[in-house]
Amino acid sequence: MKKRIRLLSAVVLVLSIILGSYFYNAESSDKGPVQPIRFSHKIHAQEDQIPCEYCHSFVDVSPNPGIPSLKKCMGCHQHIVGRDVEYDFDGAKINIRQEISKVRQHWDKKEPIPWIKVNSMPDYVHFTHKRHIKRGIECSQCHGDVASMDQVHKVHRLNMGFCIQCHTKNAKDEEELARLKDCLTCHY
Amino acid sequence: MPEDKRAERRDKESGIKRRDFLKIIGVAGGTAAVTGACSEPVEQIIPYVIPPEGVVPGVPNWYASTCRECPAGCGIVVKNREGRAIKIEGNTENPINEGSSCARGQASLQGLYNPDRISSPLSKNDKGKYEPIGWENAEKILAQKIAEIREKRSGGKAVFLTSHVAGTFGNLVDEWMDALDGERISYEAFSYEPLKEANRLAFGIDKIPTYKIDKADYLLSFSSDFIETWLSPVEHSKKFSQMHGVKGKSIGKFIYVSPRASLTGTNADEWVSIKPGTEGFLALGLANVIVNEGLSSRSIDGLKGILANYPPDKVSSVTDIPVDAIRRIAKDFAGMGSSLAIGGGVANSSTNATETLIAINILNYVAGNIGDTVDFGDTLSISDVNTFQDVSSLVSSMDDGKVELLFIHDVNPAFTLPKSLKFEEAIKNVPYVVSFSSFPDETTELADLVLPDSTFLESWGDYAPRESVLGLTQPTMKPVFNTKSTGDVILSVSGRVEEIKDRFKRKTYYDYLRDSWRKVWSENSVGVSFDTFWNDSLKRGGYYKKVTPVQLSLSSSVNSFKFSGAEIEGQGDYYFLTYPSYRYYDGRGANKPWLQELPEAISTGTWDSWVEIHPDTAKKMGIQLGDFVAIESTHGMIQTQAYVYQGIRPDTLAVMIGQGHTSYGRYAKGRGVNPVDILPVTTDKLSGGFAWLSTKVKASGVGKRAQFVQTQYTTTQHDRIVAKTISLNELKNGIQHEEHHEPDFYPPRKYANYRWGMAIDLQKCSGCGACVTACYAENNIPFVGKELVAKRRDMAWIRIERYFEKADNAAGFKTQYLPMTCQQCGNAPCEPVCPVYATYHNPEGLNGMVYNRCVGTRYCSNNCTYKVRKFNWFNYKLPEPLNWQLNPDVTVRSKGVMEKCTFCVQRINYGKDIAKDKGRDVRDGEIKVACEQACPSDAIVFGNLQEEGSKVSELSHDKRGYKVLEVINTQPAITYLKKVTWDKA
Repeated sequence: MKKRIRLLSAVVLVLSIILGSYFYNAESSDKGPVQPIRFSHKIHAQEDQIPCEYCHSFVDVSPNPGIPSLKKCMGCHQHIVGRDVEYDFDGAKINIRQEISKVRQHWDKKEPIPWIKVNSMPDYVHFTHKRHIKRGIECSQCHGDVASMDQVHKVHRLNMGFCIQCHTKNAKDEEELARLKDCLTCHY
Repeated sequence: MPEDKRAERRDKESGIKRRDFLKIIGVAGGTAAVTGACSEPVEQIIPYVIPPEGVVPGVPNWYASTCRECPAGCGIVVKNREGRAIKIEGNTENPINEGSSCARGQASLQGLYNPDRISSPLSKNDKGKYEPIGWENAEKILAQKIAEIREKRSGGKAVFLTSHVAGTFGNLVDEWMDALDGERISYEAFSYEPLKEANRLAFGIDKIPTYKIDKADYLLSFSSDFIETWLSPVEHSKKFSQMHGVKGKSIGKFIYVSPRASLTGTNADEWVSIKPGTEGFLALGLANVIVNEGLSSRSIDGLKGILANYPPDKVSSVTDIPVDAIRRIAKDFAGMGSSLAIGGGVANSSTNATETLIAINILNYVAGNIGDTVDFGDTLSISDVNTFQDVSSLVSSMDDGKVELLFIHDVNPAFTLPKSLKFEEAIKNVPYVVSFSSFPDETTELADLVLPDSTFLESWGDYAPRESVLGLTQPTMKPVFNTKSTGDVILSVSGRVEEIKDRFKRKTYYDYLRDSWRKVWSENSVGVSFDTFWNDSLKRGGYYKKVTPVQLSLSSSVNSFKFSGAEIEGQGDYYFLTYPSYRYYDGRGANKPWLQELPEAISTGTWDSWVEIHPDTAKKMGIQLGDFVAIESTHGMIQTQAYVYQGIRPDTLAVMIGQGHTSYGRYAKGRGVNPVDILPVTTDKLSGGFAWLSTKVKASGVGKRAQFVQTQYTTTQHDRIVAKTISLNELKNGIQHEEHHEPDFYPPRKYANYRWGMAIDLQKCSGCGACVTACYAENNIPFVGKELVAKRRDMAWIRIERYFEKADNAAGFKTQYLPMTCQQCGNAPCEPVCPVYATYHNPEGLNGMVYNRCVGTRYCSNNCTYKVRKFNWFNYKLPEPLNWQLNPDVTVRSKGVMEKCTFCVQRINYGKDIAKDKGRDVRDGEIKVACEQACPSDAIVFGNLQEEGSKVSELSHDKRGYKVLEVINTQPAITYLKKVTWDKA
């Protein structure tokens, strides 16, 4: 009896460590949150070749990249009602025209679309998009190949190790490295 | 069977051991925790529907405007992030405050976001309870009421009682009252009528001049608290610091004559304690000496007769000032270059206030100051407000039922007028009272209809504080609540009243304002189109022009003037001095928690009132710090705690104005006492202004004691010499610069481009606390309330230390203020004791504090030499919408985390970011930290110590420079510059 319990405990412990470290380190493979409107980055960024900065237009002037206003959506979708076809949205069956009509409904009610944040930083991290873009870092380096995703999901766990690895690799010299590894660069 | 065996058997029977059970539970719990940590909370991003023009999320917008927290009318710029005003700073373009601000200006954000603001129009129902009614209804009711009254024509009139509204709003109200056959009364609690009247009698000009304190070498203040509330405190602080700061090897001299050493008084080189109400005699005595010794440059033959009545010995016996002091001051006043005498302190205005000021005018005249340091060209508009007599006759006509309709806007007479005037009884005889107040204050509670005004941060407007400045006020954000600017309400209501409808062409106050500025534009022929002029004025915060000084001569009628003493009523032993608080002004600041928590400079008391008592008097009364004292006049009694202070005369008791609200929101209500409540209605004989100092009171302990809640319990430095001084002689003769180079085990630290540092000039610092409040605003510092301040748990990152040291002067003590904050030590004691590396030295010389690493051991705070680290004992939750003010660039700290001054690292990073865009390093002066930016005395300089020639690196090698507690070898980045003291004459 005693042995069995010891064995059971050991198994549970080992399993939890393996599972825990897997979940902790997983370069997330889940599909990301289901957004209120099935907005496909794949259609916009890959098929239609719209550059990221067209919608996320403050990315090189502000710490925040900017989420497009509803007016910006309507700038195109005033004219583009979308194909009335079924579309395989990461496994979910949707009708493109129906989804776009939801945008119009929000516009008619002048209600913003409550998007769900995919990549999020804790409040004690002050990350600035501007500096990274000005340095010539590609969006995909942190966000992954968003252009190939219908539903955007997190590709890298944006934890401090991820930041520091890149900073260490890319620093020009010792002095820049010291600055890029300094806590006060992001934490204040 | 032994006990352990029995237990074993029990376990065997049940199949599982207790210890194993715990193990399994532990593992299972751990697993749950590990896997559970992976799911993050769902956060939403809400984008704009239609993005406002010029708004980039994450990048601040700045709007220039005009501060309306007091009549000074300083220019401000308001930082707006994502549609919310989050910080106020002085506008560098404005000639009044030149970029600085005061604690009250900083705290106006807490008026804007005050959780107790009136959130929509209210109407009193039959049961006397307020009901929200919506704007459409509210305006309809008011229009109806106006129409009714016009129809009745019963002889009762409409009165619009407002504050000092110099500018377009005043014109609109006048126009409206003209249409309604009513009148406007502008009421300011601190209204300076004696100053205006004295100038009319002495110089034939009923105006209040501007005082060029910066031009004076010798400044003599007769109870004017010019760096606290008097006329234009920020401007005066700035000019005073220029006058009193070290220029080469000299400094200006400042003498303060008053029964009480106020914050202004403690900044003086000499405090002359004078018998209350006798300042005028001293001024005449000084003029007498100047004239008799042939020191005057003016033709003063006519004055000789009158001055002959005031020889020094006679003046000495009236004022309690020694003869030799009078002679010395008179000689210095006439002989030490440019001089200036100012008077008219609100607190010390007695029944002879105008006469006192005429005497001061004579003194200025004989010393040749009129047109030099006293500028009658650029006069202040505060002289346009109605007199106290106008207000008291309004109260009596209200009482007689002659007022049919009373509008109350931006004033709180039920609080600021003495109870003995019976305003509250009189208002009951007014059939209909409309209040435009944004806050539920004492007066608003008496109104039938409340139409909440938007604050000055939410509405259009202008304000002309003086000849040379016409300041614009623009909305810095959308109204927080369902409020409407009173200008708009007036125009909208007028549009609903058939008879007067045609008199108002404009539908919105914005259009009305622009029309009025069109006039400014055409009158000043500025040479550009109106739209250019308007946009330029908006950008600069207003329109500024040059005004030439005016030369005036003394009116001959002064030669035969009769001067009399103050009439003090009451039977008690003590003069009762009520003084305006530099934190609450006339009481309007009391609902702002930053101001409540800001320690008062002298007592360092917070969140309450107290009475200042001289140590000898306290001894006589058997009173100690914290004892409750009952103060009784013929008009009432107040009870408050005693603060024993050597800077007050033994025959005088002083209580500040501003606390003691019975309404006005959760932060103000029921806190402290209102000394105005027990004042008699006495006026200055010549001007009709309110005589604040007019009664004697009885006082005694009531046998109750409580902790006197303050932030600094010690008054001396215990010989540690934290705040150092040098004498002027030492400064002149050249002093050895103290630069300690203790042998160090470690090699000195090396810095690359930047080492951030600071210099604080103790000769300039006045202890006003603007830096403290600015720091609260910038760095999301929580206010903790009186109960936690009492436990020494206040969270201020910068504090003003004040020391009273024994001194060899007439007062017997000298005061020193020292702003203390994290010294960003090069060899910081806090760093090696942190077990988790949450505090460390960064490559740019900052002592970093990483909140997310901190586990709250508090070792760092214990080891800190300067005791500047603050611990979050709780999560401090701000009530909605006060939290709207939070700076998104600074982490809001939570329970269990240590924090301290960061040198505004968010501003450093922002500055470096902007410089990097331009491909260069940060230049000197580009980054201004919050305390430095606010400081009205320019005492704080921040910058890069690595940059040669930067202001801070020059100051850090100044001869007066020293580091606090340098012997401990903490190698601070802050250099203090010693205060300079005059050698005894």
